[in-house]
Amino acid sequence: MREPLPERPTASDAGPAAPQPGWQPNVVAMVCRWCTYAGADLAGTSRLTYPAAVRLLRFPCTGRMNPMFVVKAFEQGADGVLVSGCHPGDCHYVQGNLHARRRFATFKALMEFVGVDPRRLHFSWVSASEGTKWVRVVEQVTAAVREAGPARPPAGGPDSAPPADAETARRPASAEELQALAERLRRVAGELLEQQTASIVLGYTRGTLPDRAVPGFITRPEQAQQLVWDSGCHHNLSVYLPRTRGGEGKVAAVVKRCDVATVVGLLQERQLRRDELHLIGVQCDGVWEGDRLAARCRACDGTVPALCDVAVAAEGARAQQVAVEPDPRDAAIAHLETLSPDARREYWQGEFERCIRCYACRAVCPLCYCETCIAEKHRPQWISPAIDATGNTAWNLVRAFHLAGRCTGCDACARACPAEIRLDLLNRKLARVVEDRFDYRPGTDPAQAPPLTEFRDDDAEEFIL
Amino acid sequence: MEQRGWRLSAEDVRTWVDRLIAEGREVIAPVEGRGPRVFRPLGCAAEACLDPGKTRWSPKEFLFPRTETLYHYRLRADGPELHDPPLAERERVLFGVRPCDAAGLVRLDEVFLDGPVQDPLYARRRELTTVVALACQEAGPECFCTAVGGSPMGTEGVDVLVLPFGADWLVRAVTDKGRALAAESWTRAHAGQWSLAADQVRRVEQRIARAPVAGDVAAVLERRFEDPVWQETARRCVSCSICAYVCPSCSCFDVHHEGDAWGGREIRCWDACTFPLFTRHASGHNPRGGSAARYRQRALHKFAYLLPDAERTTRCVGCGRCIALCPAGIDIHDTVTRTAAGAEGEGADA
Repeated sequence: MREPLPERPTASDAGPAAPQPGWQPNVVAMVCRWCTYAGADLAGTSRLTYPAAVRLLRFPCTGRMNPMFVVKAFEQGADGVLVSGCHPGDCHYVQGNLHARRRFATFKALMEFVGVDPRRLHFSWVSASEGTKWVRVVEQVTAAVREAGPARPPAGGPDSAPPADAETARRPASAEELQALAERLRRVAGELLEQQTASIVLGYTRGTLPDRAVPGFITRPEQAQQLVWDSGCHHNLSVYLPRTRGGEGKVAAVVKRCDVATVVGLLQERQLRRDELHLIGVQCDGVWEGDRLAARCRACDGTVPALCDVAVAAEGARAQQVAVEPDPRDAAIAHLETLSPDARREYWQGEFERCIRCYACRAVCPLCYCETCIAEKHRPQWISPAIDATGNTAWNLVRAFHLAGRCTGCDACARACPAEIRLDLLNRKLARVVEDRFDYRPGTDPAQAPPLTEFRDDDAEEFIL
Repeated sequence: MEQRGWRLSAEDVRTWVDRLIAEGREVIAPVEGRGPRVFRPLGCAAEACLDPGKTRWSPKEFLFPRTETLYHYRLRADGPELHDPPLAERERVLFGVRPCDAAGLVRLDEVFLDGPVQDPLYARRRELTTVVALACQEAGPECFCTAVGGSPMGTEGVDVLVLPFGADWLVRAVTDKGRALAAESWTRAHAGQWSLAADQVRRVEQRIARAPVAGDVAAVLERRFEDPVWQETARRCVSCSICAYVCPSCSCFDVHHEGDAWGGREIRCWDACTFPLFTRHASGHNPRGGSAARYRQRALHKFAYLLPDAERTTRCVGCGRCIALCPAGIDIHDTVTRTAAGAEGEGADA
């Protein structure tokens, strides 16, 4: 009979960094049945010896290995994880390993960003005939994990939060300019409803709190007067698009440049039909929270993208030209990347610890549209519903990873988060990894496929043993 | 005598908190650090933040934790074995709680203690907890405690009440439990000082501009169960649970088990009626399948359902956090008062 699961270790139980005498690392090896498993088998039948630290889990294909499995392995106390499968070109399902290559390249960057020691996570191609390579890989991986020492909960050591964003030289658009845009917007919306081009207009209306616009659903031409346009129009209204039906007419939506990027994502993923949409692009000089210009606005000129059906922009010369500045999220990411893995881990654990699992990040994300989220699947339960370090870490990592190559950086999640977790940095980091590796920028071309749904034969694999 | 209370300097308050900690109590107070201001256990008095404003969410998690183990189980050869989690042992002081949050704890008591069965884990924690409330120095645009019978210096659920008095503080024990925290050596306050301090808080109270919620709101809302207002308002709702999780009086939870047939634990985690999964049946049918039905449930549970007696007209304590934090800008006070007033539609959308 087995012993009950112990209470999860907490920071105060964290052991010393130095391993106990006689400690042997626990390495979970997730291997594909056709190549690496057979290769490991060959090593055995060939009487080759290798460290006994690895526990093999056999999968049909590396393409079947959800990065969530790796999160689970670490959660359950693995000291290291090895993912191994067929060489490119050898996949029994033709392309499973090529998809996996992109996925794990991105996932590895995420894990390193949240402070998982790179010595703990490895990938390799080992074919059925490479018994000796399997031995070499296991020796190499075990040595690296041994050097990293036993996995332990974060010990509450020093970390360092990113410094405050640099000051912006930009100023909110003038009241007259905003007023002029608002009036044009009302006219456009009124006409769309009048002419029955659209049966509903999603826009911003006045809320009950000062300086805060709220989403509004306008269905009658005279209601168009309720629409507002100012520097407090934060919401990304495209979250409402997939669930809004226009009936006879189209669904019109007021969109900023950043919102259009998520509309592109929804079009790419077939969540919207372009011919049922009418996009009212409004020139945006940035949204402000008090005296702070939103991070995503700093590097955005706010012009109306060509995808829009109608542009509501200032006429003639503008009072103020928008000066594009460096994105402060990049500076924050750069800061975190100067920290040691342990300090970065402390930082992110500190962030995730605050999570109350309200799932507002998911709810406001236009691209989180799954009918049933993985967080709510119980059989098996990959993400613990417990609102504690373990469940919160799994949730935040899986959420971020599901948006890799898809998130357009609208920061709706970070803005909604009552715990102020820096979700924007996780998303931005992954967006940059995807851009660097796959030369892909989400939200630009509705005809493109998201990068983690495809592959190229020559995708970089410098991280694969 | 007790009504006179004491006058403490900021230094006295720090000494007081440090003494409470030194005597072995866990003192939990608003703390500022990375992220928003929230209640956390203090290492020393200097960590506490008694500045104007309220914490991002209520301190309810210290009585009703986000997640807690209900029991461990293990299957042995001779049958299953169950182990209760240990009961709380250490005395606790919730320090610097706003009156709305203290009133919220009374609502939690009604759920966990006043029914036919008491929740032993909650009951033990509650017994060990003393609430030191701090009257409000300011009111936000979302605040509406006065609309639901509260006050920025309300004493419902409060053991010790603290009022700001210039740079000093006036302290009064409201209950015997609160009196036990006081020190012999404290300077007595005068009645005049109390009335000055109370005037100050009343000025804060006057800044709360929101209309009172009528006494018969429960009946009216139930009559307007099919009112289009629910549909119109909830159209914006994105079905997260910020409102419920930051709420001082929301008490819903779900029970999960972690482990397998041989051993594991049963845990209780916060849950919210705004999630579609909250009421979804195993068959797939969901009696509250749309966000409007779920939002109506939340509003009615705050203002109409399960009120313990005729005195109590709402379960809402008017802290306004759900309004300030709603990512869709939904305002429960606005919805309820307008619906109760019989207004067509809702606010600016009408």
